[in-house]
Amino acid sequence: MKVFKIILSLLLAIIACLLIFFSINALDLSALLKEIVPLETMQQDAGLEKAVKRINDCLADGNQNRALRSLNRLLDDYPDKVHLDVQTKLDLFFYRNNKVMLTLGVYVLFFSAALAVSAFLKQQKHQTAVLVAILVASLYAGIYIVEDLVGVNSMLMTVLKKGAIYALLAVSMNLLNGFTGLFSLGQAGFMLVGAYTYAIFTIENTSRAQVYQYYQGGLVQFTLPTLVAILLAGLAAAFFAFLIGLPVLRLKSDYLAIATLGFAEIIRAVLQYDGLGRITNGSNLLRKFTTFNTALFPFAVSGICIALIALLIHSTYGRSFKAIRDDEVAAEAMGINLFVYKQLAFVISSFFAGIGGALLAMYQTTVQAAAFTSAMTYEILLIVVIGGMGSISGSILASFLFIASSEWWLRFLDNVTYIGTFKVPFFRSGFRMVVFSVIIMVVVLFYRKGIMGDKEFGLKSLMEPRKGGKRRG
Amino acid sequence: MYDFISANLPYLLAGISVGGQYAMIAIGYTMVYGILRLINFAHGDVFTAAAYAMVYMNATMPLYLSLPLTILFTVILGYSVERIAYKPLRSAPRMSIMISSIGASYLLQNLMWYITSGLARQYPTIPWISKTVTIFTATTKMVTLVTPVLTLVLVLLLVQLINHTKIGMAMRAVSKDFETSRLMGIKINKVISVTFMIGSFLAAIGSMLYFTNYTAVVPTAGAMPGLKAFVAAVFGGIGSIPGAVIGAFIIGIVENIIKAVGLTTFSDAFTFALLIFILIFKPTGLFGEVIHEKV
Repeated sequence: MKVFKIILSLLLAIIACLLIFFSINALDLSALLKEIVPLETMQQDAGLEKAVKRINDCLADGNQNRALRSLNRLLDDYPDKVHLDVQTKLDLFFYRNNKVMLTLGVYVLFFSAALAVSAFLKQQKHQTAVLVAILVASLYAGIYIVEDLVGVNSMLMTVLKKGAIYALLAVSMNLLNGFTGLFSLGQAGFMLVGAYTYAIFTIENTSRAQVYQYYQGGLVQFTLPTLVAILLAGLAAAFFAFLIGLPVLRLKSDYLAIATLGFAEIIRAVLQYDGLGRITNGSNLLRKFTTFNTALFPFAVSGICIALIALLIHSTYGRSFKAIRDDEVAAEAMGINLFVYKQLAFVISSFFAGIGGALLAMYQTTVQAAAFTSAMTYEILLIVVIGGMGSISGSILASFLFIASSEWWLRFLDNVTYIGTFKVPFFRSGFRMVVFSVIIMVVVLFYRKGIMGDKEFGLKSLMEPRKGGKRRG
Repeated sequence: MYDFISANLPYLLAGISVGGQYAMIAIGYTMVYGILRLINFAHGDVFTAAAYAMVYMNATMPLYLSLPLTILFTVILGYSVERIAYKPLRSAPRMSIMISSIGASYLLQNLMWYITSGLARQYPTIPWISKTVTIFTATTKMVTLVTPVLTLVLVLLLVQLINHTKIGMAMRAVSKDFETSRLMGIKINKVISVTFMIGSFLAAIGSMLYFTNYTAVVPTAGAMPGLKAFVAAVFGGIGSIPGAVIGAFIIGIVENIIKAVGLTTFSDAFTFALLIFILIFKPTGLFGEVIHEKV
């Protein structure tokens, strides 16, 4: 069995390498063209020479699609004059399906790596770790290629970008509400702190005078590297959470909710205060800070953050959080210092909320305190509920579903639509959100556990499905 | 002295007026919390819906019809919110009901946005109470004077209802002990429905008074007064009606004093700072009962 796996994996690896090699090699069309249309044939026919020249011009302009179309026409027009053997046909095929073949190659490579891992690594734990790594790598490769195929500003990429950011926000809220059982509604406030910290420290120096035009160019006159600023955003949010947590975390469930909500409102008011204008730009928006233009960035940052949260939840700290959620009195009796652990969960959750806020600011390219209302917190809370309180994978899944349906799939509800001459009733601006909130209410009322309940969707459940058919219930 | 009064009287009057309007909303919060132990996040949106009902009804019918119909609509709305969003979750954990109330608020807001296409609607002028009057040196609307009086009258009536009628007794019993009162044959669902209806009735009247001072209604207009009224309810001691009223007046007045000083940005923040202050130093509020938690 082991030998068979190794051989198969080697074979796949060779195929993958070939695929990747060919698709990278096939990129040079003008070289290929010289082989397809030999010099002597070309010189005999003026029309052919012109066609070849057109293709080369298109290539020089960087317009690959038009070059490809001209090439197709050339092949149709002069079927007997072009020189096509197996080699050139293969090259041409790889040129045409370049990205698809490259993707295929990368995935076959990942698959062969996974096979090799399962053959060589004895321990289940190691196997899982490596498989997760491979899966994650293939996910990022997939995003990279899809982004290249559909364009950065397409709806799909917008949803993926925003979904990744919301996934981080939802997971960080889940850490507090789902895993520690602290019903906090301060998320928007901590996001706001993160977003502002990030924005203030990454506005380019040359643009500061313009952004802070009402406040003498602002007080901060230096820029930090992006990643440092993101980290600082998290730390600032965590610091505020620490201060706020001292008094508030002693409160019981719904008082805690309303107090944290109150703090978010206070933060929002303070950041809009005129007296702090030289730092926060008063109630004007902040803009011209460093942003990202590839979906890989939010995916990478929130991926790392979510992984850290997952590790935390599986540690002794995580078990203490869950103990507090399940029974405070019993947890205290077992020697868990309630206040310290609650404070820890609160600070860590806010740290990641701050990072999420910074990412959101980058996604929006401008940021204004007035937008971070309690409605934003409610939205994230609803995502957590839909995904399942106490399930990381549920929160991630729900974030993408939530963003995709609100931004994309339910868009058609907002347009006045005719089927023939029949005007579809109710379809007009705003209907999408009504339908959407009805769906949410149905989930809240009748599927209280959400998509995942408190289960996780993981490799384990994929690899060894429980015997007896039903996996959940 | 005269200058001081003439400069600050308008703010004081506005504070008393706004306080009375907050009180109307706060009673709805405090009664529901007393019985269900639930922060009814949708209450602020019921308050806004009442304003919209008034806008639309006043466009088609005379005032003597639109006023009672608006109140009726709001009462029915409050009742349906309870029936649809809270009743199915009667035995669920409290967190679920709270989430459901947030969901209901989200739904109501989106629904109002849809119906109005997101445009601000002009609130109709209700003739007598929007008349301008002059008190000493301050010029204000009649509503400023009407609100505190009306609030006090309604609160007195409500207290009579709670203390001297059968349904009032049932309410008191349910808020003391949910399970036992059920065992004693009190129809819990009826009591809860009546509570929501009273709360919505007062919210409808509060909304008529509140929006008379403003020209336009937007779907989120009720969120902030709603939250402040809740703070007032907590401040006064949640579950206590006189507490909610006094808390609302204090918040209304102090908020306007802050505006008078020139720190308008902080008038909202103050309310929440007050909330946190009271929660830390006297979690039961001014008139709240101390509940001992048993293991």
